[in-house]
Amino acid sequence: MSGIPEPDEFRAEARTWLAGVARPRATGGEWGSGSDSVAVFENWTEEQEREHTARVQEWERTRYDQGWSALNWPQEYGGRSLPAYYEQLYRGEEAAFDVPHRPEIFPVTQALVAPAIGLWGTEEQKSRWLVPMLRTDELACQLFSETEAGSDLAAVRTRAVREGDDAWVLTGHKVWTSGARVATWGVAVCHTDPDVRKHAGITVFLVRMDAPGVTVRPIRQMTGGTSFNEVYLDGVRVPDTDRLGPVGEGWRVTLSVLAAERLDSGSLGLDNADRALDLAGNLSRPLTGGEQQRAADLHLRTLVQRLMGLRVTAALVAGREPGAEASVGKLYATETMRRTSDLVSELLGPSLVADTGEWGTYAWTEHLLGAPGYSIAGGTDEIQRTILAERVLGLPKEPVR
Amino acid sequence: MHRRHPEIDPQLLSETDEQRQLRTVLRDLYAEASGIEEVRKHLATPRGYDEALWARLAGEIGVHGLAIPEEYGGSGFTFAELAVALEESGRALYCAPLLPTVVLAAHALLLSGDRTACERYLPRIADGTLTATVAGFGPDGRSGGSREPAVTAEQGSNGWVLCGRADFVLDGAGAELVLVRAGTPAGPRIFACEPAPGTCLRTPRRVLDETRRQALVEFRGAPATAVGTAEQAEGAVSATLDTGRAALAAEQVGGSGHALGATVAFVAQRHQFGRPIGSFQAVKHRLADVLVALEAARSGSAYATACAAIASPQLPVAACAAAVVCSETFRMATAEYVQLHGGIGFTWEHPAHLYVRRARGAEVLFGTADQHRTRLAGLVGLAPRPAA
Repeated sequence: MSGIPEPDEFRAEARTWLAGVARPRATGGEWGSGSDSVAVFENWTEEQEREHTARVQEWERTRYDQGWSALNWPQEYGGRSLPAYYEQLYRGEEAAFDVPHRPEIFPVTQALVAPAIGLWGTEEQKSRWLVPMLRTDELACQLFSETEAGSDLAAVRTRAVREGDDAWVLTGHKVWTSGARVATWGVAVCHTDPDVRKHAGITVFLVRMDAPGVTVRPIRQMTGGTSFNEVYLDGVRVPDTDRLGPVGEGWRVTLSVLAAERLDSGSLGLDNADRALDLAGNLSRPLTGGEQQRAADLHLRTLVQRLMGLRVTAALVAGREPGAEASVGKLYATETMRRTSDLVSELLGPSLVADTGEWGTYAWTEHLLGAPGYSIAGGTDEIQRTILAERVLGLPKEPVR
Repeated sequence: MHRRHPEIDPQLLSETDEQRQLRTVLRDLYAEASGIEEVRKHLATPRGYDEALWARLAGEIGVHGLAIPEEYGGSGFTFAELAVALEESGRALYCAPLLPTVVLAAHALLLSGDRTACERYLPRIADGTLTATVAGFGPDGRSGGSREPAVTAEQGSNGWVLCGRADFVLDGAGAELVLVRAGTPAGPRIFACEPAPGTCLRTPRRVLDETRRQALVEFRGAPATAVGTAEQAEGAVSATLDTGRAALAAEQVGGSGHALGATVAFVAQRHQFGRPIGSFQAVKHRLADVLVALEAARSGSAYATACAAIASPQLPVAACAAAVVCSETFRMATAEYVQLHGGIGFTWEHPAHLYVRRARGAEVLFGTADQHRTRLAGLVGLAPRPAA
């Protein structure tokens, strides 16, 4: 076993490897040319989604096969047993190279579902699922939210009923699933015992997305595009060997997935904030005093948001658990996204809302309409505030009625 | 690297074990020797602070000399250690003139590169026997942003003498040494002036924040010695102010931390409607927002501190950013401090208003938020382009 490389050494190694397999990202590029997309959520047809997913899978397999993925996993799963933040160090280097942008299904599979399997899976499940998921041969989506179970996720109505000793039958309706069209597995939060208090009756299953009874339909969101799906489960038969964690312990399994989701949202919105600042710098007229104030404010916000991320990394590198800086990231980021919209609206005025065909103007409507989604997805801003107040500040919970 | 990315080794944003120990020692010392009642008591004394504690801080702990090189009687740590001390002082609302003495005056001397002046004054700043300040360094808010010094220096038969006035001088009525930015035929320079009653009229201003005294200082032919060269003066003044902003940011983080901590403790025990008010979502969410703001302030402050500690060329950007975000946070944290304490928080006896006063005083000390943002815009290329 080799020791853990120093962060600098590791970064240099990563750069060398990346230089051999990928082209450097074209820096900056000429303002006014290239893609002007600032979409917050991907908006693809099914065909486009499949094509792009295949491209990312190819890159992820190269990465995995050559030892630059699954870094914190043990060798038997293709990893190097490095501390978790080495993935961040790697990403920092990868950002300088032209590699395909990972849509949400990839982090969901590799960073949310795989760790939950590592934590809760049986040995048989781990050997069956982990390598294919870390290598992205299999992709897993989250079948969590329902129309009547959003923030109150434990109120799910999807039922799983035992059928004999070795199978379950799942019936229900899930919503807001990203990547359901390309996923091979879905992680479904189900009710298995209606007679106990709600958190105690939950069980989690992995469902084959091509199983009979699974129907995927796109949801059109307020941007006009379709980035999410609803998933119908109509009497879907799931073998008991695909149950993740003990019967009735599904709430804890679910929480371990959700906890992973809340981390790593710290860099959300930064790309578009940068683009808005580029827009401010490239306007053909001088900025007004107010615009300049707003732009400077957004600039320092992006600086601070990046510093928060660096503080988390620094704490991890020093071998400490990061403190509150790790949990405030999503709330800070959604505010960055709102302020980006506000600055762009000032800068572009009417050409933001009526398409003149000019590069980099009407395209911002994708940001304007997409940004509110992140204040809802992955735990609403209000849920985040409650979590911060109760878990970080230690304030008393709401009394149970 | 992209200019929007922080340019700093992330390890410098993280506290060292030594810094953590210093923090613990100071927090304990302030708790024991400078509670809020002591602060109030000393505000009423002629000098306005606890001089015995000042001597202990300098002597026992060596706070004053943390960022002063050993050759000038300091301990040769960095600004990062001093920032820890300032954060704890800000948390306790310690009301002695640390900021003008060990930050502004000491750094003006160091940055001037004048060895004679450093040797003359820094050892006494380090050992706590000299209080000092700066005057005329920043736009005083009345000159319309003009950088033309309001104090001028003339070479008389016995050396330089200063004439003119400087307002809002921190500890201006008490400081034993004033470093003055004054105009000369060769351009602005820094001068060291030990004020004497005959040639220097010092009028204390009535101030919102009594923990930080200010005065109008009128120089009427006050003898002074030049510090550093005319070429270096403006750079040293500007870097001193940025170091001051970084220092103030650390204090603001400390003050905000106190406000949040005290409020969380209060709402957890205060009952209304038969339950702790901290269990109401309306209260929780306000405090969660303060926590988010505090983490932003910590991040901005840590960056400015790290930049000051290694004399990074990014210090101006970092100082502007820290000034804006830490001022905003301190204002918000102290507003919630009052609001969430309800009636008791609005009383004279409760310490909350002392922190409100500190926050409102601090946010305009080295420029307003608009001024910082305007400067930042210029530094990062967002300034309005001159019309063609």
